[in-house]
Amino acid sequence: MNFDWAYFWAQLITPSGAFLVGLGLTIIMSVSAQLLGFIIGLAVAFARMSSNKYLSFLAASYIWIIRGTPLLVQIVFIYTGLAAAGILRFEDITVGDITFPGNLQAGILALAINEAAYMAEIYRAGISAVDRGQFEAAKALGMPPMMLMRYIVLPQAFRIILLPIGNQFNIMLKNTTLVSVIGVSEMLLVTETINSATFRTFELYSVLGIYFLFLTSLWNIFMGWAERHFALGRPAAKSPPVQVVLEAHQ
Amino acid sequence: MSNTSVSDELLVEATNIDKFFGTIKVLDSVNFQVKRGEVVVLIGPSGSGKTTLLRCINHLETVQNGRVVVNGKLIGYRDRNGKLVSDREANIALQRRDVGMVFQRFNLFANMNALDNICLAPQLLRGTPKAEAQAQARTLLARVGLPDKAAAFPVELSGGQQQRVAIARALAMQPAVLLFDEPTSALDPEMVGEVLAVMRDLASTGMTMVVVTHEMGFARQVADRVVVMAEGKIIEEGPPEQIFNHPSHPKTQALLAAVLH
Repeated sequence: MNFDWAYFWAQLITPSGAFLVGLGLTIIMSVSAQLLGFIIGLAVAFARMSSNKYLSFLAASYIWIIRGTPLLVQIVFIYTGLAAAGILRFEDITVGDITFPGNLQAGILALAINEAAYMAEIYRAGISAVDRGQFEAAKALGMPPMMLMRYIVLPQAFRIILLPIGNQFNIMLKNTTLVSVIGVSEMLLVTETINSATFRTFELYSVLGIYFLFLTSLWNIFMGWAERHFALGRPAAKSPPVQVVLEAHQ
Repeated sequence: MSNTSVSDELLVEATNIDKFFGTIKVLDSVNFQVKRGEVVVLIGPSGSGKTTLLRCINHLETVQNGRVVVNGKLIGYRDRNGKLVSDREANIALQRRDVGMVFQRFNLFANMNALDNICLAPQLLRGTPKAEAQAQARTLLARVGLPDKAAAFPVELSGGQQQRVAIARALAMQPAVLLFDEPTSALDPEMVGEVLAVMRDLASTGMTMVVVTHEMGFARQVADRVVVMAEGKIIEEGPPEQIFNHPSHPKTQALLAAVLH
């Protein structure tokens, strides 16, 4: 087998500056797209569940189109397609020393729009799974719809959708590689660039895979903690041990 | 133990209520009134429409015909030149603040402890300051016999305890009338008594109550008036002595024979 261990270790332990910048971009893109996806997704979920049938239809169409077409196509469409049609050109934005490149903006936006469609359905599933009695009790007290959502339903729905959210962000981390197609120098594009000069494909892609495995593993550890912390049916707060309290009365 | 503080003022007035579930008529031209301070117990076989009637009072059910007026306010609809149109959700929410409800399945908010269950609505809807709302909640928890359960979450409470917290939660909004939808039907037998005791105590303080129940002992002892429903209609009503000792309608006789023996 032709495997250059020295090269492999060097790339793994002392990656190039460009690769580290790529790692940073992967994290920045996935985190910001996920956060945007949370917000847009919630709005889409509410629109989808709205009693206004036009709003509901609009949201359903959005979900249908986004989930029905490849993310790679959406990324090219938003960055290159919109510019080619003269509709929207993403320009670099510079604030002080920091430049926010157009293709990075478009990449984050495309990932967020895609994520929002999936998140909307996850929110909808979570909200539907909350016991109807919880809605009725809040209504009977006189809570208007948005208050009921904020204080009663969403906190309970959040516990239900924690696992699917974990899944979504795991997928998001890996989907950032697709943004390489519009020239964002995230880890995959940097790896391809180095590869085209060295042809050490096996070593380089092993390193790339290990870096992704590292990111997703960190996320798994975090989700494991979150699951325990927000466990379904148990209070998040530290309540006194129930058994002891009950026995004290007998 | 009949309530002596009943006034002549009508607090709940439901007129000509028709209600369909699909093609089934569950309420058939029902006329139903409750006076301030009165304890009304609704009885009837399952499917007779008593729970549906109760849920129309706070507009958890819409009606196809008729109107419900609580505390002088039309519930759920606006009168537009004699025609009733659905009111906005926000207005309906506003009207519901004066009508408390206790559910068969308790429906305590699963994401918060007993104290927060009770405090939340007064803080959000009445603008009660947190410290005051919490003090009131602790007083209410003591009143329902659970002074040491403030920090307990619903999953940590028994059915009877949950239902008593649910009563405290409804009381915290200081409603004009309190609706009970089969409050003891989901309880283990040994817990029925503790919930009925709290309800008796409430009735004795002059609280206006409408109670759907199968607890005939409670109806006999606590009700000012017993209303009997069958097939979506009110077939008979009167003081408990009259209904239980001299029922006039054959269906009432059959119902009482079935549950009392």
